[in-house]
Amino acid sequence: MKVLVQPNRCQGHARCLAEGPDVYVLDDLGYNSTNIDDVPSHLADQARRGALACPERALTLVEESGGSDQASYSPPNVRSGLR
Amino acid sequence: MTTTQRGPNGVPEGAPVVDFDLSSHNRMADSNAAWARLRSTSPVAWSADNGGAWIVSSYDAVSEALRNWESFRSGRAVRTIPGPGGSPDLLPINAVPAQTTALMIPEELDPPLWHPYRRVFSELLSPRKVEALAPRVKHWVTKYLDDVIESGRCDIVDTLTSGVPGAVVLEWLGFPEHEWHRLGAAFHNMSAYLPGSPTAQQYLNELEWAFERIREEVTAARATPRDDLTSFFANIQVEGKQTSFEFATGMVNMAMSGGVDTTTSVASAAFVHMHYHPEDRQRLLDKPDLIDSAIEEFLRMYPPARTHGRTVVKDTEFEGFLLRKDDRLIISEASACRDEAAFPNADKFVIDRFPNRHVAFGVGPHRCPGSHLARAMFKEMLTQVLERIPDYRIVENELAEYPNWTALGGWSRAPITFTPRARRL
Repeated sequence: MKVLVQPNRCQGHARCLAEGPDVYVLDDLGYNSTNIDDVPSHLADQARRGALACPERALTLVEESGGSDQASYSPPNVRSGLR
Repeated sequence: MTTTQRGPNGVPEGAPVVDFDLSSHNRMADSNAAWARLRSTSPVAWSADNGGAWIVSSYDAVSEALRNWESFRSGRAVRTIPGPGGSPDLLPINAVPAQTTALMIPEELDPPLWHPYRRVFSELLSPRKVEALAPRVKHWVTKYLDDVIESGRCDIVDTLTSGVPGAVVLEWLGFPEHEWHRLGAAFHNMSAYLPGSPTAQQYLNELEWAFERIREEVTAARATPRDDLTSFFANIQVEGKQTSFEFATGMVNMAMSGGVDTTTSVASAAFVHMHYHPEDRQRLLDKPDLIDSAIEEFLRMYPPARTHGRTVVKDTEFEGFLLRKDDRLIISEASACRDEAAFPNADKFVIDRFPNRHVAFGVGPHRCPGSHLARAMFKEMLTQVLERIPDYRIVENELAEYPNWTALGGWSRAPITFTPRARRL
């Protein structure tokens, strides 16, 4: 499983870190811009919960089979301009 | 898409027109019911009340509006009210423009100016930095509970939910301890009373005193920097230049007004909730691990900030309507948090609700940067109350809600009784 982050959607809620403390990494400002290339199977649940908890729908799970599980809809205008 | 032209009285043609007077939202239950009725019929509607504005109430529309900073700006704007005798009208971030308060930086800025100031707040209040504040949070919760725990009685708002955020924020800012209570009360009363009401007028002097104290402290900290947050803001370099006095005071004002009366609101609501729902209190006592999901559910059910205002800066298609430049939006986070489409059984407290993507802290670029500190203070208060005075009861006939639930909700007073216990410090 992979986790893809859309950095322009992340607004620093840090709910991914709260649900997946062993999976997710935040920068010094508390924002997530780090894709996870290979989530160890024992941390898959943390990764899933972290992605589902994101109020900005900034995280996309890509399962081994290649299908993606976009945990979100796509509103327009999500660029925050913070970075 | 419905084409909107200005009809009589400035009403956009094609807009669902509703009567939605926020000044009548005098009780939480009435406010929630009014938002529920509006949301079920017209999640985006136009109301001539509150100065004339689009009212945005569904979860999806609220989220989209808060994210769209390119069209819907947070910065203050001046608008001339259309029609005969219309006078200029200052439009701040508050949903209902009436009371001119000191600038809040960065909440009332838009990108790109917003960017460097927001970075400052994000970095100061990141999850890692908040961990470093945890000992102070624990200290003040312990001390303020100690102050009353042998007596078996207190007002939990005055003692704890207002006292703790005030102490944590004002100690960090470096304001003298004997002023904390008065400063906290000034911001609390600003939120608790509707602008223009006689009671609010009475408290404006106190607020003016608070702003004067901020100016004095920033002036002093520029002359002689100390090791505190006020000195940091007073002397901050943004893009290589010292920031203006107005922006420095705006950041101190932001920390104070964002910090002192918001966590108060949701923590008070949680203690009131657990009185009227003893089964939820018992579940937390039986399974303390539920506290983190309970906190999210309290935030969803009782979001402190209920609405925010925005001003349209360019013609924008939104939810099937054409919003015109200079239109106002009133966006309700409180309504979004109770939207059945996003939260099944939205009016029910579900202690382990997941996912719980509430918008109590907002979404989009202006997401509350103090959210991590707010959660830490709320969790410590909840933990210690459940550990130390688990049998508290609200004195129901002395419980008092805020008299208006437009911008902020909360409890003015929540006296409790409990079995007296020993101090810890």
